[in-house]
Amino acid sequence: MTKREIIRMVLDGRKPPYVPWSCGFTKEAREKLQPYFAEVDLEVALQNHLLKLGSDVGFFTNLGNNRLQDVFGVVWDRSIDKDIGNVEGCMLSEPTLEHYTFPDPLDQRFFADIPKRIAKYGDRFRVFQIGFSLYERAWTLRGMQNLLMDFYDHPRFVQELFQTIADYNIAQLKEALKYDIDAVYFGDDWGQQHGLQMGPKLWRKFIYPVLERMYRAVHEGGRYIFIHSCGDVDELFDDLIAIGVNCFNPFQPEVMDVPTLLRKYRGRLIFHGGLSTQKILPYGTLEDVRAETLRLLEMGRAGGYIFAPAHDVEGDVSHENMLAFIELIQGQPGYCDN
Amino acid sequence: MSIIDDLRQSVIDGDMNIAQELVQRTLTENMPPEQILKDGLISAMAEVGRRFECGEFFVPEMLISARAMKSGLALLRPYLTATNVHAVGKVVIGTMQGDLHDIGKNLVGMMLEGAGFEVVDLGVDVSPDKYVVAIKEHRPDLVACSALITTTMPYMKNVILSLKDAGLRDRVKVIIGGAPVTEKYAADIGADGYAPDAASAALCAKELILKKG
Repeated sequence: MTKREIIRMVLDGRKPPYVPWSCGFTKEAREKLQPYFAEVDLEVALQNHLLKLGSDVGFFTNLGNNRLQDVFGVVWDRSIDKDIGNVEGCMLSEPTLEHYTFPDPLDQRFFADIPKRIAKYGDRFRVFQIGFSLYERAWTLRGMQNLLMDFYDHPRFVQELFQTIADYNIAQLKEALKYDIDAVYFGDDWGQQHGLQMGPKLWRKFIYPVLERMYRAVHEGGRYIFIHSCGDVDELFDDLIAIGVNCFNPFQPEVMDVPTLLRKYRGRLIFHGGLSTQKILPYGTLEDVRAETLRLLEMGRAGGYIFAPAHDVEGDVSHENMLAFIELIQGQPGYCDN
Repeated sequence: MSIIDDLRQSVIDGDMNIAQELVQRTLTENMPPEQILKDGLISAMAEVGRRFECGEFFVPEMLISARAMKSGLALLRPYLTATNVHAVGKVVIGTMQGDLHDIGKNLVGMMLEGAGFEVVDLGVDVSPDKYVVAIKEHRPDLVACSALITTTMPYMKNVILSLKDAGLRDRVKVIIGGAPVTEKYAADIGADGYAPDAASAALCAKELILKKG
């Protein structure tokens, strides 16, 4: 069976022959890991089951001095966080879109390498990524504290901003659906270590209706929906299922009860993630990593689960700990690298 | 309801304009500035913290309440100075070296201010040396350290070691917090306090100040 078929089995509620995986690594972690795979490119060596298409964080113009500008005009400082960076300044300093023009959602850079990558990794399950897909895009433009206060101070502006972001995303994902892809993988962090940043009341009032509209566009195209949202957000799972989400990531064990939720939602929502990146990977021993990986693989054997570290592995994780979980997932009975 | 109750409620509701108006009225009515601060502003922020802890308030509500409190405090401050009313303590706060995340640290700063502390915010990406310089300059009672990611959390230990090296460790209490930080980690590195969120950080700071005497 191909990796694509295995993921489909999991999404359709069937028991797979082994637990599939799709693991991410930050730039620093990739640099640490690459030497252990000799000449083989990490993307090949990892044998991830998801083929990520489009771009999760978008495209950038290098302004020099570790500063990059995204297609929305937002400047990111990557002097410390080399993968995404931190927003510099505030694009929408006032609560209005009057003087701001959204970028072209059909920018060819988002689609250019799709045919080539599908040709190269045709056996993998293809996901088109839309990162910063709503709330995060809004705060990168408006500033997080401003946006959080705008929920009360300028609710109409927040609604207009969210709907305009959704229009942009829908135009982009409709273009992506013209390719032979399987799912759209949205990313939007709503959580904190405890609870939602904006709370469930504001989430349901402002975010839920816009998600419903974006997700409907994916379902109308007959594709699956994945959502990545960091933090303690499991109180939203029933709402997300109601609007058609098929898979949730990152399934952080520090903020949610992974085994209980996997059992509770099996057949309704699948999970991608689960391996502790806040504790076990950076601070655990080799044995801790092996034990936790085996525990997750055992839990996922019945289905409903795609293994992964609960965040792109950071550079503070030893290469031994990275290799330990990679070896176990690739050594599962039933899996053969084809 | 009394005018002070109305002021307290306006801060809880996050209504900056009403809060400012009511602070003006209390001053016009010659209410003691210390009473306006304690029964109006600090009491309101304690209730905001309680609601945050029990999941009734979230970050937006905390932000607009803190903004209302700060706007009232700005009007009140000259009167507090004139009547010799001092802050309950001084805190130097910052996000660890290598970490540019600031919203958690800002919320802690706001709640500390709302609890009557004077807050010196060093911003983000603060090195242990910067802490040492700031402590010498501002002579705080407390040092607060924030980290969102596992890669920057170890710098908290470096801050404590730098304070020891500079002979400042006995002068200040150190509290730490942030997503990957745990009570055990705080104990392991020799911090004096740990708080899982902004509201409990303010409570923790108050307790440490009481202990410090």
